[in-house]
Amino acid sequence: MRFDDLVRVSLRQVVRHRRRYIGVVLAIAIGVAGFISIITMGQDVKKNFNEDLAFIGGVTIIRNVLEFRPQHPLTEFHPDTVKAIQKIPGVAMASLVGFEQIKGFWKGQPEFFSVVAVDENFWKMRGLEPRTGALFGPLAVKEHQRLAVLGPRLAQRLFGTIDVAGRTLELDNDIYQVVGVVEGLRDINMEKSIYVPLTTASDRFSKKLITDRLYVRCATWDDVPAVAKAIPKVVQAHQSAKNLLVEVSWENLTHVKRVAFWIEFFIYLAFAATLILGGMGIWNIMMAAVRTRTREIGLKKAMGAEDRDILSQFLTEALCLSLVAALIGVVLGRILVELLGLWVGMRPPEELFFTCLVISLIFAVALGVGAGLYPSIQAARMEVVSATRYE
Amino acid sequence: MNKPSSSSQTSLIQVTDLTKIYPNGAGPIQVLREVDLEVYTGEMVAVMGPSGSGKSTLLYILGLLQAPTSGSYLWEGVDILSLDRTQQAEFRRRRLGFVFQACDLLENSNVYENLEFPLIYEGVERQERPPRILEALQKVNLGHRLYHSANLLSGGERQRVAVARALVNRPQLILADEPTGQLDRRHGHLIMEHFEEIITHGDTAVIIVTHDPDIAARCSRVCPMEDGVLHGLK
Repeated sequence: MRFDDLVRVSLRQVVRHRRRYIGVVLAIAIGVAGFISIITMGQDVKKNFNEDLAFIGGVTIIRNVLEFRPQHPLTEFHPDTVKAIQKIPGVAMASLVGFEQIKGFWKGQPEFFSVVAVDENFWKMRGLEPRTGALFGPLAVKEHQRLAVLGPRLAQRLFGTIDVAGRTLELDNDIYQVVGVVEGLRDINMEKSIYVPLTTASDRFSKKLITDRLYVRCATWDDVPAVAKAIPKVVQAHQSAKNLLVEVSWENLTHVKRVAFWIEFFIYLAFAATLILGGMGIWNIMMAAVRTRTREIGLKKAMGAEDRDILSQFLTEALCLSLVAALIGVVLGRILVELLGLWVGMRPPEELFFTCLVISLIFAVALGVGAGLYPSIQAARMEVVSATRYE
Repeated sequence: MNKPSSSSQTSLIQVTDLTKIYPNGAGPIQVLREVDLEVYTGEMVAVMGPSGSGKSTLLYILGLLQAPTSGSYLWEGVDILSLDRTQQAEFRRRRLGFVFQACDLLENSNVYENLEFPLIYEGVERQERPPRILEALQKVNLGHRLYHSANLLSGGERQRVAVARALVNRPQLILADEPTGQLDRRHGHLIMEHFEEIITHGDTAVIIVTHDPDIAARCSRVCPMEDGVLHGLK
């Protein structure tokens, strides 16, 4: 039997019996669509979740502190150290921070304020957004501008409102312009603080600002252990790490990873089950086809079909079935990927999609051959005389 | 041996001492008992007998659809029982045509597709198929039904399509198992007219299994069969 005849005859059978096959085709198509969307978008969705600090409880942030200990001199993170840490694989960003109590004047009265001197990465690092006004950006840090962002509790206490953009504040004999109020702080003391550019604080505060805290944010929670392990070595390579304290919320990290693992596991399990059911469906439907088409098999053998003609016809039918299902699945998968892309706000790499497409088609061939082989062998081995006499 | 009166013709098949025994828990059942038969090209032989006499089994053995327990089967002097499964399939599609009692057509297919299968298995080029299919259909006066659905044909038309399908590969021997069994008298005789037309060219033989004396009467010779024994010429 020629190959083009084989494909034509098999496809014709599948199309003509499409109502019988629709359930199996849909099961496989959904499985393939799920597989494509999970693999293609999985990394982006995970990245998205990792960026949602409120959702994951900030477990991707590693807090590094150069502790004050009597036997060690007061130290701070050197710029070279920060740059080296930023190059550790798995580090998304690093933010250098200094804390200080600064004397200021408010309504003619002296008052000490908690001041947090931050660099341009601080807001993104902590997932902070402006509640009112704006947060100062890289330009303000670069140009050492005297700008301030207030914690909401402090803004409320000082001005009786959080709409404070354009107001001024005196800190260490300098006037700072308030540009906004920050939102998303998960610490009551932080909500009572003033945030100023790190460069400005270093220049203008009469007390030397010690930048002894470095926050490192990892790209995903999976990167946290490796990055936490690498930091002391990198610090040691550039400065003393004797008083370095690396803090990771191990408990929360384990919890988040466990939850993520089970979510991922059940999603994969659901799609694997769908595909296995699809495979069993092909097996079942082909076995049923062999039974219901016994007379047809006998007739074809009487016409001169060889065992291999019958085997290849049934096998090709199973293959057509799984390939048609896979192609529908690829189209559904593409639609799902586009929708997820809109939701997550990211576009997956096209190469990844095409890799998934190829894997799906290979899988469909394996499924078709695997599930269709036994029924096809049964059909091919059927004795002509019993097949032609089958009622 | 069952053979025609004229010995000048070429023997197409020669069967000797053909026996078929089915194993059975209650004891073996002997369906064919040392059957001898000789068939020549250009003749139409009727094997006639009651149900269970073994005539269909004989037909299946002659069609290489079933193996005998013992005996020999020569085709133009060559032993064809020694062919393996694949060679037998090849032999069937090149030399034999079958017409079954139940008007067996492939359901959900049209007339063209039904007749195309033997050509597909034979490896006939696609462009050669339509004229051959049409030629076979015209022999049974159904040229106008080329693309009709098999499911929508009448019983008589279905059986004529089955005859056309048996003819499409230009076989040397047509084996018909009660081809008129499910047809009324008029359609039965129409089928017989087609068989008579086929053998007039002299290069094809037809063996018909029937229990209808009217049908048998239209054959070149009749071989009565009873309890697995094929009797002499009528």
